[in-house]
Order: sequence, then C-alpha cells, then structure tokens
Amino acid sequence: MEYTKQEFMAIVTGREISDGELIILGVGLSMLAGYFARRNHAPNLRAFTEGGVYGSTPVGGLPWGIECNRISANATSFTNAIDALGFLVASGRCDNAVIGAAQVDKYGNVNTTGIWEEPPWKLGKYPPPKVRLNGSGGANDIAVGAKKYLIMASHESRRFTQKVDYISSPGYLDGGDARQKAGFVGGGPAAIISTLGILRPDPESKEFYLDAYYPFTTVQEVKEATGWELKVSPEVGVVPEPSEEELANLRAVDTTGSLRKKN
Amino acid sequence: MQNKLISMQEAVATYTWDGMTYCHGAAFPVGSDSVAFGKEMVKQGKKDLNVICHCGSSQVNLLAAVGAIRRCEVGFSGLEVYGFANGLNRAVTSGQTVIEDYSNGAMAFRLFGGAMNWPFVPATVNINNDQQWCSGDEPDTYPASNKIPVIADPFTGKTLGAFSSLRPEVAAIHVTMADVAGNAIMLGSEWSRFEMSRAADKVVLVADKIVDTACMRQYPNLVRIIAEVVEAVVYWPYCSWPQASCGLYDSDEEHVFYMNQAMKTAEDTEDYCQKWVHSYQNRDEYLDLIGADKLAQISATETAFLMDPYRQWIKTDAEVRELEARRKG
Repeated sequence: MEYTKQEFMAIVTGREISDGELIILGVGLSMLAGYFARRNHAPNLRAFTEGGVYGSTPVGGLPWGIECNRISANATSFTNAIDALGFLVASGRCDNAVIGAAQVDKYGNVNTTGIWEEPPWKLGKYPPPKVRLNGSGGANDIAVGAKKYLIMASHESRRFTQKVDYISSPGYLDGGDARQKAGFVGGGPAAIISTLGILRPDPESKEFYLDAYYPFTTVQEVKEATGWELKVSPEVGVVPEPSEEELANLRAVDTTGSLRKKN
Repeated sequence: MQNKLISMQEAVATYTWDGMTYCHGAAFPVGSDSVAFGKEMVKQGKKDLNVICHCGSSQVNLLAAVGAIRRCEVGFSGLEVYGFANGLNRAVTSGQTVIEDYSNGAMAFRLFGGAMNWPFVPATVNINNDQQWCSGDEPDTYPASNKIPVIADPFTGKTLGAFSSLRPEVAAIHVTMADVAGNAIMLGSEWSRFEMSRAADKVVLVADKIVDTACMRQYPNLVRIIAEVVEAVVYWPYCSWPQASCGLYDSDEEHVFYMNQAMKTAEDTEDYCQKWVHSYQNRDEYLDLIGADKLAQISATETAFLMDPYRQWIKTDAEVRELEARRKG
C-alpha cells in the first residue's frame, strides 16, 4: 500500500484520539489527524479551535488557518479565545489536543519560538534569535491546561534535541516531578508522534523513550535521528501500517492531498 | 443616533501617531483583520509603533517589513499554512523590532484585565517556562523577573504569575458589519475583539459592510461591539484582503504568498508598497487594484450563506457615500 510518512504520522496521531473526547485542534497536521479520527473511529469527538469554532467539518481541503473559511462554513458556534483557550483549555476541562513542534526535547518541552546561536538558558541573556519562528500561539495554554496532549514533529536530530533553545510550551520541564511542582493543571504530553515512530514518557523520569517504530524504519535509524541518547522499550514494537479504511478516511479529510505532497 | 462614519485617511490621521500603542483586531492569523487600516498607516508613514496583537497577520508583517514597529507583544506571529511572517521575522532577527512573546490565551486574558481596569491578571499559563523567563524588554537578564512576576495565591499560597493588563491607546478592529454609530456584528471567531473593544482607550471600527441600525435591533444579542465604546467607523470593503472575512470572502491564496515573499527584503517590500499600498487613494481605486476577477473569485465563499439574515439591511456604496457626506456636511 502506498502512503507518505506524513499520512502515516497523521493516522498514528489519530489513533491516539478517543471517541467522545473534548479536543482542541490546531492548523495543519493537527486538524487532519483530529478530523481523520472523528471520521474513522471517534464519531462523537468534540473538536474545536483556539478562536472558538465549534461543530465544524472542514470543507474544500486543509484550512489555511484555524479560523479559515474552510472551517467556518458549517460551525455550530463561534465564540472567542477566552472561551476556547481560557474556559475550556487553561481551566483544565479539555481532554486531548495535538500540537506541533519545531524542536522537542527528551522531556517533551516544545520550541516554536526561535533558534539561537547560543540559547538564552545557556547564555543567561535573551538576544534576538538567529531564526524567528511563530511563537507559542495557543500551544502554551494547551500544554499547561489540557488533560493530555500529543506532539507531532518531523523526526530529525536537529529537531529532537537534548534541550530545546526555548520552551514555548512546557512538557515535563526537567523531568521527574518538575511539572508537578510547577503546578500545571494539565497532565502533560502523552506521546510524541514523529515521522519515524511513537515516543512515550517514562512514568517516573518522564524521559521520552521509543515505544514503537514505523515499518519502513529501524530502531537504529530512529536513534540516529534523535539528538539525545534515546532509550528503547524492551517491548518495542512495529506500528501497524495504515489500513485501507484508515487511508481512505484520511484522504476523505485531506481532500487536496496536502499530506501526499511531502514524503 | 450619532453618525461616526469617517474616511480611512481621516481615521488613520486622527487616531494613530508615531510612538503610539496600537492594537488591531481580527479573527487571526489569516482570517479577518483591519489590514487596510495598517496599509493606510504605511501610506501615512506612521512609525515607532508599539503593537499589541493576538496574532500578527499580514498587517503586522507589512508594518514590520517597512520598519514601522519598535516593539510588538504577540501570541502568534506567523501566517499558519502560508508560512512564517517574513517581514516581521526580518525585523525581529535584525533587532529592529523587539518582540515580547505570550500565548494566544494570555493576550486575551490581558485584554480582559485591561477591560476590567485590573492592575494585573493571575497567570496560570505562560509560567515556569521561557514565556516567563525571556523578555524582550529585559534582554540582559535571564530569567527575566518583570515580564510575568511570580506572585502567591493569597488563599492557598500557591505560586502563580501576574500578567500585566493591556490598555491599548487605540484599537482598529475589523468587523463584518457595523451601523454608522458603531454597533457591530462579527461573523466567525471573535478571537479577542470583544475584550479588545472594552480595553482600548479609543476604538475605530473598519467594516466590510455598513448596515442599517434596524439590523442591530433584530439581532441585539449578536452585537458584541457597541456604539457606546466606538469613536469612529470606516467603511472599507474587502478590508482584510488578502486575508479572509467570514461570510464575505476567502483569502487570496496567491497574493498572501506573493506578499509574504516580498516582505523578505527591504527592496522587495518597497516595490510591493509602490504597487499595492501607495497606488490607490480611495475605496474604488483599491477595489480596482485587486481587480474584478479576483474579487469575484474570493467572494465565491462557502461561508456566503452566513450573510443571508443580514442582506436586507446592507447599505449600497451610494447610500454609504451619502451618509459619509451627510456627516461631513
């Protein structure tokens, strides 16, 4: 069966989403994974976006943004950011979410803000970045408030780093009980779904280890693409390939084939 | 009922000035926004701006690209699927624009604090990570201590942060439709426009459509921005272009990419401004510049049916002109 890595990643992310959950979805892969899940196995998924767009099914392909007309054409409610990110997310009510990452570290901390020659935490200063990214958007609110969330990232050693340049959205901070001590209402990242496999946090140390890898890669390749000494589960498995039905359901959501363009 | 219709030129000349704290409102990042207001600020050469926005959108991208932004507080500065905002990123990496990052939620909570006239807002998000520790205003200190200071919950003793409240001097808010007094209905996500309209010292609306006040009397629950807090109303069709306005037009995909590409360098930005910012003097010329074919194309939106309940109250261009003339006269 033919599919792209991006499609596989979206399907694997979708499998981590359960029926009935209240879930906040961001633009791009996050939205595709969420609406794929709803179509495939979670018909009662309660999905919404940061600006408070509820009850929608995207039309005409991947929305250009979270409030794009493609997702506003059949909404049941439009509210606002205080409602969506405040009342439902920062409050701790939201069950699940999907966020992206330019960089992610071994404790699931996400950077979407910038890349520095020397990161601020090392430098002890905060100069302008070498590369400016987008900022956290709603992801910080999600990372702090959602009961759990999923991180999607392209698996490359420059992105899977020992320590991110800047924590835009906190995972388990320095690991162990650091997140608990920080007093965040939400539970933290449940998994990192990458283009090569699934990483999950160790229950004690909170360090992410390899739980399963995709059929087209190897444990060695995943380790080489990871910027920290990646631990591997003794029961490490191979992620089941997308079924025909899953692919059909994903492509019914990704009507313009945005995930088929990249590999 | 007071008629507050004024021209875009007059609105920008009256309500913006060099060094001001300017806020713009929208259904971000690539949805509706008062983009045309930002273009008029470029035309009039406004500079040294302290910008407060939920998300940057093409407006901040352009203002930063021409070097007009000294400082910017923002939740999300990119253009989502369209990519990074090249103009803003160029201004930030060169050190021209100081950026102060918060989350999207935080920006809304801080505007709410401003609307309430609270001295600060308790912060349970953005704390214990670099959103708190990195401050563009305190570049020599890490971790920064003044951006989101640590406070104790007086009831439990638990550690929290304190967000400063936001009180922008002026907010230019895009709305789908407004009456001449400044009552407005927004279709699509409000994002933070409701609290923004109550937090800003002065509010200028930029409306895609002007409607009769009877429309507001039919749907008073939907009128989230009220005449009582609005100083001026500008009629500017396709105000968000090349971005979208829910119910009226989709984003002009080709132009968003083209514009963002141009923002990469100062030379191309200047070229872009000559062609697409300085080249029109009024609404008709603006629409001519976009072109009838493009207007027809982006107006064929799947969300068009959302406007159906309001159509009977929409003023024609000629009617709006008469109302504008009446106010002036």
